[in-house]
Amino acid sequence: MLKLDKLTRRFGDNLAVSDANLTIPDGQMVGIIGRSGAGKSTLLRLLNRLIDPSDGQILFGDNDIARLKGKELRAWRSDCAMIFQQFNLVGRLDVVTNVLTGRLHDMPAWRTVAQVFTPRERAFAIQALDRLGMAHTALQRAETLSGGQQQRVAIARALAQEPKILLADEPIASLDPMNAKVVMDALRDINRQDGITVICNLHTLDTARSYCDRIVGMQDGRIVFDGTPDLLTNAMAREIYGAEAEEAFNEAATSTAIPTSEPVPARVPA
Amino acid sequence: MTDIPMRGGSAGASGDAPFDAVSTFERHRAELKASKRVWNMLTLGAFTIALGLSIWISNFYPERLAEGVPRIFEYFATILPDLQWDQLFEGRDAQGNAVPGSITFWYTDFWTYVELLLETILMAITATLLGAAVAFVLSFPAAANLAPNGWAYWFSRRFLEFCRGVPEILLALVFVFAIGIGPLAGVLAIAIHTGGALGKLFAEVNENASDRPVEGITAVGGSWTERMLYGVVPQVMPNFFSYAMLRFEINVRASSIIGFVGAGGIGAELNRVISFYSDDRVLAVLILVILMVTIIDLISEDIRHRFIGKENF
Amino acid sequence: MRMASIDTVDAGQIAAVRATHPRAFRTGLDEVRKWAPWVIAIAYVIGSLIYFDVHLLFQASERALRLLRAMVVWEDMANWQYANIYKGIAQTLAMAFLGTLLGTIGSLFVGFLAAKNVMPIRIVRQMVRRFLDVLRGIDQLVWGLVFVRAVGLGPLAGVLAIFISDLGTLSKLYSEAIENIDRKQVEGVRATGAGPFAVIRYGYLPQVLPVFISQSLYFWESNTRSATILGIVGAGGIGMILIERFRAQLYDQVFFVVLNVLVLIFAIDWLSKRIRLWAIGEKSH
Ligand SMILES: Nc1ncnc2c1ncn2[C@@H]1O[C@H](COP(=O)(O)OP(=O)(O)OP(=O)(O)O)[C@@H](O)[C@H]1O
Ligand SMILES: [Mg+2]
Repeated sequence: MLKLDKLTRRFGDNLAVSDANLTIPDGQMVGIIGRSGAGKSTLLRLLNRLIDPSDGQILFGDNDIARLKGKELRAWRSDCAMIFQQFNLVGRLDVVTNVLTGRLHDMPAWRTVAQVFTPRERAFAIQALDRLGMAHTALQRAETLSGGQQQRVAIARALAQEPKILLADEPIASLDPMNAKVVMDALRDINRQDGITVICNLHTLDTARSYCDRIVGMQDGRIVFDGTPDLLTNAMAREIYGAEAEEAFNEAATSTAIPTSEPVPARVPA
Repeated sequence: MTDIPMRGGSAGASGDAPFDAVSTFERHRAELKASKRVWNMLTLGAFTIALGLSIWISNFYPERLAEGVPRIFEYFATILPDLQWDQLFEGRDAQGNAVPGSITFWYTDFWTYVELLLETILMAITATLLGAAVAFVLSFPAAANLAPNGWAYWFSRRFLEFCRGVPEILLALVFVFAIGIGPLAGVLAIAIHTGGALGKLFAEVNENASDRPVEGITAVGGSWTERMLYGVVPQVMPNFFSYAMLRFEINVRASSIIGFVGAGGIGAELNRVISFYSDDRVLAVLILVILMVTIIDLISEDIRHRFIGKENF
Repeated sequence: MRMASIDTVDAGQIAAVRATHPRAFRTGLDEVRKWAPWVIAIAYVIGSLIYFDVHLLFQASERALRLLRAMVVWEDMANWQYANIYKGIAQTLAMAFLGTLLGTIGSLFVGFLAAKNVMPIRIVRQMVRRFLDVLRGIDQLVWGLVFVRAVGLGPLAGVLAIFISDLGTLSKLYSEAIENIDRKQVEGVRATGAGPFAVIRYGYLPQVLPVFISQSLYFWESNTRSATILGIVGAGGIGMILIERFRAQLYDQVFFVVLNVLVLIFAIDWLSKRIRLWAIGEKSH
């Protein structure tokens, strides 16, 4: 169970995340929505500890993640995989090596420096790639893949970490609808089949509604909504998104709903 | 909101505002021109004074030039070999003596020179490798975006500055004193200077590397070293390689003169023939040095291009 | 198809993956290809260092200590002949200034002669270029030595050495800058019926002048550095004093001189940066 207690992050006078309280049981799929600048990315980065909180606690079991340092901090990051909007792969390394970097944390130092991976690690990496249908690209350079393919490789890298939690910061924001659906389906499979908690920043409402068990709405750094998709009324959503409402409701843009596929159940009427 | 029409109104009403603007403009322009003129005069004055002082201090007088310049041409005449067409390709005679006028005679010490040239190249390779290794290691803490902490950044920066600030030949002088005459002094001197020069360039390359892969490696739980090795190195390696090859070309030149202070290579021989003889031996060595430098440049350029070609498929 | 943990990946699964994706596993040849460059480079460095008598380095402690001591313990400072030192520094500055200036003036002519778009006669251009190659092929220090032989010890030889080696390099850079200019502006001047010198004055110079100034300033910086060591071969400047006192084993004075030289070099770098900024508004580096 992941518990945020009064989690706060300031950038100068700007409260990017302010007094966030949240309890997320294991195995849940959570979508975080909110307009640009609401603090979604900051919240995820705090969870992975890419940035340090200014105040408050992040409890995972009995551990206060917010206080971790050095080796323990790196161990936490390897338990808490992160997917980025821009994939953040090492473009000049081949795909399988990119996935293998997910194992770095468990390797002895000499092997990481010499870039020596065992056959077992390689087999595991290929299995992870195979699960996302990317095993055939294993020897290609990551930068030669399309965006959607790169994001799947990034998810394979996350799987290679054997994470307890998977964070995804707008994983589909730079993908076309087809690829967006593939990626979101993969995240849902990982959540359903492996029981890994998935916390996902999303820009479009319908995606959040159709994939997530629970939706958290953020506004100016505060959590203003927390509940199941059917509790998120239209009025509520409009308030969360404010001026950006039209864009968020527009399902044609960066949405996972493909015209040819069957309609996703909980759609917001236009 | 209200001051906009007001401003428009007053300009239209009084009618002297445009006139004012023009005169103000003219006045500013005049002032600017005047201040520019003052600046130009000052610069010209400073330049003239610097020029006068320089001529005076370095004895750069017409009569000395008139006296010296002909001697330069005389000198170049003395170092030309006395080659004869009919004997140009004559070998050695029965007693093992070369015939005057032949290339063999001109290049009596050919194999000594070749040995020294090879030593020169070896020195350059070793120094480049050693220097590049130092530069590689220090370029990460010396990159503002990658340094693990302020101290490491400050120390690596200052160290690299020192290494590249002191001229190679000065370092060579010190090493020759400390460890004796020989190529080792030259190798160490050039290696240190290379470390500083390449380290700065490498650090700049690192600072321009994308931080997305680095963030990716951070997020999987990578340590600082792993972030550098997996996140940065693959991005910067092609640039590092090109810079190191360019430095190698420079180092071949450096190691061919570092022998002037006794630090090995062809330089000592060059110094000796120029200082003690003024005959065709000077030109003999000079030609070989120029040939070596040119050939190395060509090879290195070829390797660089091939490498870049391969990098881009 | 949930993902098993890595610990449950057994030999059978590894074999199965290896069978379907053999290239994802490394063969012996892959390993050789990966490690060979490293092994060769390291073996080469070690081998060459042994060949260069690296053991000398570990026997140098006594003399190295003497040098280190001289860095901190300065003796007999009243008799250091400061006038001599600062005269040497002045000479260094003068040599660099004059050498760069002459090199710049010379390159202005030679650079145009070597540029394809200004000098249409191929044979002249090629000859000029080969001549420049030779000038560049010989190191400044060697030129210094040669000029010492020709005009005697002293700064004049240094000025000439800087001039000649700058002529070789600057001319080449200048000619490249000239070849890279925008043709339309030149055409415009030529269309007014201007003669060849007017074309160069109004068509070419405005375009290339900023590049020329900036290049020459860089060379001024770098020549200040090299003018400090030209004295080692007797071509004037602080280097002569440096090597004299080094030979006389006055290491504390040598260290003092080196400190002065470093300050000088930093000062010139700073000044050159300011001038570049002021003259052409270019942000340096
Ligand atoms: N490194 C930083 N330095 C300063 N301010 C920052 C930094 N990162 C984020 N902020 C600020 O924190 C606030 C929240 O930013 P955040 O990136 O979390 O928003 P977001 O909800 O992810 O927006 P988007 O949907 O555009 O990605 C913004 O006001 C932003 O300007
Ligand atoms: Mg964001």
